[in-house]
Amino acid sequence: MLKCGMNGSQVKVFGKAVQALSRISDELWLDPSEKGLALRSVNSCRSAYGCVLFSPLFFQHYQWSTSVEMNDNNRISNLNCKLGIKSILPIFRCLNSLERNVENCKIFTRSDKCKVIFQFFCRHGIKRTHNVCFQESQPLQVIFEKNTCSNTLMIQPRVLAEAIVLFTSNQEEVTLAVTPLNACIKSSNEESMDLTNSVYSEMFVGPDEFDFFQIGVDTEITFCFKELKGMLTFSEAIRAPISIHFDIPGKPIGLSIDDMLLEANFVLATLADEPSRGSSPQSTCLSQKRKRSDVVCSNSKAGEKNSKVTEYVSGKAARKRLYPDETLTDISTLENCGSPTVKRVNRDITEVPESSVSDTEEVPGSPYLRKFACMFFGALSSDPREHFDNPFDNLATASDSEEDMNNGSYSTS
Amino acid sequence: MKFRAKIVDAACLNHFTRVSNMIAKLAKTCTLRISPRHLNFILSDKVASGGVSMWCELEQENFFNEFQMEGVSAENNAIYLELTSENLSRALKTAQNARALKIKLTNKHFPCLTVSIELLSVSSSSRIVTHDIPIKVIPRKLWKDLQEPTVPDCDVSIYLPVLKTMKSVVERMKNISNHLTEMLHLQIIEANRNGDLNLKIESELVCVTTHFKDLGNPPFASENASQDRNPARMAEVHVDIRKFLQFLSGQQVNPTKAICNIVRNKVVHFDLLHEDVSLQYFIPALS
Repeated sequence: MLKCGMNGSQVKVFGKAVQALSRISDELWLDPSEKGLALRSVNSCRSAYGCVLFSPLFFQHYQWSTSVEMNDNNRISNLNCKLGIKSILPIFRCLNSLERNVENCKIFTRSDKCKVIFQFFCRHGIKRTHNVCFQESQPLQVIFEKNTCSNTLMIQPRVLAEAIVLFTSNQEEVTLAVTPLNACIKSSNEESMDLTNSVYSEMFVGPDEFDFFQIGVDTEITFCFKELKGMLTFSEAIRAPISIHFDIPGKPIGLSIDDMLLEANFVLATLADEPSRGSSPQSTCLSQKRKRSDVVCSNSKAGEKNSKVTEYVSGKAARKRLYPDETLTDISTLENCGSPTVKRVNRDITEVPESSVSDTEEVPGSPYLRKFACMFFGALSSDPREHFDNPFDNLATASDSEEDMNNGSYSTS
Repeated sequence: MKFRAKIVDAACLNHFTRVSNMIAKLAKTCTLRISPRHLNFILSDKVASGGVSMWCELEQENFFNEFQMEGVSAENNAIYLELTSENLSRALKTAQNARALKIKLTNKHFPCLTVSIELLSVSSSSRIVTHDIPIKVIPRKLWKDLQEPTVPDCDVSIYLPVLKTMKSVVERMKNISNHLTEMLHLQIIEANRNGDLNLKIESELVCVTTHFKDLGNPPFASENASQDRNPARMAEVHVDIRKFLQFLSGQQVNPTKAICNIVRNKVVHFDLLHEDVSLQYFIPALS
């Protein structure tokens, strides 16, 4: 059972978080825990993930209690609350007027019905109540070790906003290229080669414009920036710098804001280089090795699953778990995702040892196809048995249908 | 063919950006003509533009402190490029607080106009922004369609009122005409040599006219003056209201000089001067 309260200015920040996450997908998970209230969102292609965690200190009061008698083996269960963004966005419209008029806002859940209740106590004795039904769905979380990334930047949101202005709305992807000397944000090469009418733009930013600039490996990564814009607005609203963690192409890029009272994390997939496109054979071997090591990883991990809900996989695993793994998805499903760049997805990791070579094949007839790497998702389930039976069920299928989501192992059943 | 130019003055840069914004509003695709002394933005009267043509001229000395060009050949010392106007205006939009702006003709995979901007930033280091705008080089055989249009002998020549006022009037008229007559989006522009200008829309149900008076007529001597002795007689032209509105929307700032020349039932010619940039815009009459 969740019960929390906010004042007017806290509501504004909360609303900004909802708006930022609305850029990622049409659905939002409300995920309370003893660590605080997390809002999570994943896009349908599983190439973007956002999470804003409000610590209990953010709220005027915060109470999260689990009803133990519901479960037979004393495990902590999640609220498993998924809301449609269309239901929740209108509640947090006109944030400036909300900030002025709302004296108190209460959010609570009812244990008997699948409802979240938002109550606004406004000036002049007006009380506004919204009952929002939710779907029972176990939240997904992304596993991303930002501390093990080779490259870390910290930048004021204003600078990033000035860079984003360069790109038109029909250019979905941007490339971030870094060397120890500078950083460059530019239009994705792939798009400008296809459409000869699009402008190619690039902006070089010197290291002194960053609050923190540490480059371990020279790299160029490409990702969709539509989802980024939401996060940018949010960070400008709370006036906090953005930390960017990334590595080589194919590995996700993580953008985070760490405030005392809240923590926001956005993880975006990046385009993986086709090894046949000229990257060194050594890197190909490395990526294959990594895939294999991931297979080993998830097997061992399955046995030691703990019941604590954690935001990221803890640093216990020495190996990086960044390389994307995805269950088999055929291209037709991907085409429905709406992302123009999702071309192909890595095969199911059970097949990895044999097919890791075939992954590097280009799809015949499309020389420009690149793999758009998706991220490794794990379900927030505390039941060790679920994982042990079939460790690969943790992986989110890139399917859009609700039934698949609920029938998969990552829903409570 | 070579072209390199540089702007360092903030006022010149802003002016150039404003011109580019105006062109982007007036024509989706246009021709940029580069010659030793001028830059021209040209829209020729093809069917695609509905017969509308535009000739915008600026003297390069007033903008660039460095300007080098080499045309196709010594006799034809000009470069004609086709580009999407919005690409240029968007690129210039990022040059708000630039220390310097460079434009040059380059060939990166395909011919481009490269706009390179050196931005001032809060910290000491300057940021470099580059935009490669794809362009098409127009071959010499098509140059004849892109020459400066001849100003027709007009029946009436009149100074225009404040363009913003005209624009808000025409906008309202357009809404009415859309609602009432689906087939024609007609705007009647008529003026006389007494300084009267009328904008009219007509339909079966209603007729709306806005009268502008005491606008003044520029002095001119032509044969028409002697033929038409009645200065109060209106010369009118029927044009597509959408094109007229598009022209008015493109004028963000009120021009230094604005003249409207009407050739009865043929064409309306707008001759504007924005500080030192001249714009001529022709809208043909609807038959």
